[in-house]
Amino acid sequence: MPRRRFPEWLVLLLPAFIVIAAVVLIPLIFSLYSSFTPYKLTRPSTLWRWVGTYNYEKILTDAKFWAAFGRTVLFLTIALNLELILGLGIALMVNKVTWGQRTLRTILMFPMMFSPILVGFQFKFIFNDNIGLVNNVLQSLGSNTALPWLVDGKLAMFSILFAEIWMSTSVFAILILAGLFAMPRDPLEAAKVDGCTAWQTFRHITLPFLMPFIFIAMTIRSLDVARAYDIVQIMTGGGPARRTELLWTLMSRTGYVDARMGLANAMGYVSIILSILFTIYFFRKLSAARAELGMAG
Amino acid sequence: MKNSNYLKGLLASTALVVASESAVAAEWGSFDGVTVEAKLIGGQQYEGLYGRIADWEAATGAKVDIISKKSHFEIDKEIKSDMAAGTTSWCVGSNHSSFAPQYEGLYVDLNDYVSAETIAEFVGGNIGASTVGGELLMLPRAQFDVSVLYYLKSNYEDADKAAAFKSEYGYDLAVPETWEQMKDQAIFFADPPNFYGTQYAGKDEAIVGRFYEMVVAEGGNYLDDEKRPIFNSDAGQRALQWFVDLYEAKAVPAGTTSYVWDDLGQGFASGTVALNLDWPGWAGFFNDPESSKAAGNVGVAVQPMGSVTRTGWSGHHGFSVTNDCDNKEAAASLVMFLTSEESQLAESAGGSLPTRTAVWDANVAAAKSGDDAFRAEALAAFAEGAKYAFAVPPIPEWGETTNIVFPELQAAIVGDKTVKEALDDAAEAVDELMQESGYY
Repeated sequence: MPRRRFPEWLVLLLPAFIVIAAVVLIPLIFSLYSSFTPYKLTRPSTLWRWVGTYNYEKILTDAKFWAAFGRTVLFLTIALNLELILGLGIALMVNKVTWGQRTLRTILMFPMMFSPILVGFQFKFIFNDNIGLVNNVLQSLGSNTALPWLVDGKLAMFSILFAEIWMSTSVFAILILAGLFAMPRDPLEAAKVDGCTAWQTFRHITLPFLMPFIFIAMTIRSLDVARAYDIVQIMTGGGPARRTELLWTLMSRTGYVDARMGLANAMGYVSIILSILFTIYFFRKLSAARAELGMAG
Repeated sequence: MKNSNYLKGLLASTALVVASESAVAAEWGSFDGVTVEAKLIGGQQYEGLYGRIADWEAATGAKVDIISKKSHFEIDKEIKSDMAAGTTSWCVGSNHSSFAPQYEGLYVDLNDYVSAETIAEFVGGNIGASTVGGELLMLPRAQFDVSVLYYLKSNYEDADKAAAFKSEYGYDLAVPETWEQMKDQAIFFADPPNFYGTQYAGKDEAIVGRFYEMVVAEGGNYLDDEKRPIFNSDAGQRALQWFVDLYEAKAVPAGTTSYVWDDLGQGFASGTVALNLDWPGWAGFFNDPESSKAAGNVGVAVQPMGSVTRTGWSGHHGFSVTNDCDNKEAAASLVMFLTSEESQLAESAGGSLPTRTAVWDANVAAAKSGDDAFRAEALAAFAEGAKYAFAVPPIPEWGETTNIVFPELQAAIVGDKTVKEALDDAAEAVDELMQESGYY
């Protein structure tokens, strides 16, 4: 009697399945389960008490959570748009450079090489109201006030956005630059022969060609920014008075400081919706842009 | 004859050494071959003590393996993760009176391992604050914290300032005795953005602790006996109003709502803050010309009082023994050693405050007879301040309530809400938490 054997494809894929189950699937199911319990880190027995949708009901009626949710969407929208505009500008300019372009591209990537925590500390110091760089410059230029950069609601959001954009604009610049390099010369030359202005060439030829690259950058960065935590935590900790509270600063405080991991996991699952929506939106846009260029899918 | 005398002397001295060694071994026990794993708080002011561990190892034959050394907040997170994962078989952990109630079931009741006579040698209030639900969860080390008032002396030596202050406020300018006087003076001294009257911690547990002690000083309390929040009382509103008034008058730096201890210490050391309520650990730093522009100009006085009593939010560090430890006797011996009179004398020589009565007395006596007038002034202020010390409510939810309360306090300070609205909102949320936790 021949020994029964697993089909070859299954044997070959099994290690991958096991690894994925161990590092992704099981933690995911476990955290989903724990979001239906009052799980407190300091009381492990609470993991086995089922409370149904209590955590979710609590979140859905919690104004503080939705304020943080809304603020995260706003933060994301402003950061992505500004990064796109600045990144596009930088890419177009670097594309024109004929001498030392490679060095310039390397320098462009410097901000991405810093740890976000260090970027947070750096900007926390720069924007400190008492001993910070910005206020000292303003005061030496004759201003006699100390602007509360990290305290005033709008200024604090501005400061955090500034740090985030400073660090990540080059992601857009590099991806768009890659698009510019891959761009065929023929349509541009044809446009020139037909007498198009520089703006017309950009608007109707360059930009449509760059759109798929832009949407890929948007997708990557939207996932990145939706989980913004390190810079915000270091610079303001979500404060003062929750003025800069984003989803992840709220979740980490709930989960690790208050030890209410069940509730924090429920918050995590609700906020994943945000990332999923943005991803779907950008992928649709990506497909549309590719279709417009005559590429499949 | 000479030789035999020499031999006798040698024998006698050998016997003495053996006797004293066995006395040490008898005091700390003998734990040959035992390894005690410990998770200890790290940081310059805490680590001097750990140098003494070698003496305990030599006396007992045991080994200490420090498996983690981090800041208190990091250690706290690690211990919570350990509790969740069930990896709590290490033996000795650093603890703090404000954190101890959170670790339910993690640590043994040291009453079972430490003699009553030894426990009685500690300051009663510190033992009280180390006891949760009747269980002594830690032995206090010489890291007791209560805040007193540091001030720049030059502000009180200027005749023009004194005259201007008297004509504006109607009483003599002197180091403030009450929080009301401190507010007047802070507003009077302030000249933003170059010089500020005072400053306060503005976020996390730090501001809630400060608020809590002000509420008590005003005659109120944070929670009642049933653990219902009552900090939104009149006393609570008066307490919060003090923070708001200073902020509105720009007597504190605008960024004070994001400051915690380091920012405050650096601020006072920069010489641009007139009055500063702060912890004992800073005394040496403030008066050291290497680290502080205020050096030589620093006065230390007992903390001011509210309308009822003096403030005195206090806490202290200590060491605990886990329930899952294999050799709890060895672990308890190490904890006793680290909190012994000798250890506390050595640790408090660095400027921290002891938690043993005899060590307090010895330090105060030494400072009086020494030639360091500043050290004597500071120690006298802290000895006086310690009389009014009280700990935070000993419940696991203390930390969590502070996370609810601090954004509301900030909202009142920066003007998003009125004092009453902010406190009512905070009390409502804390009430919900207390109900969820099953107190009522």
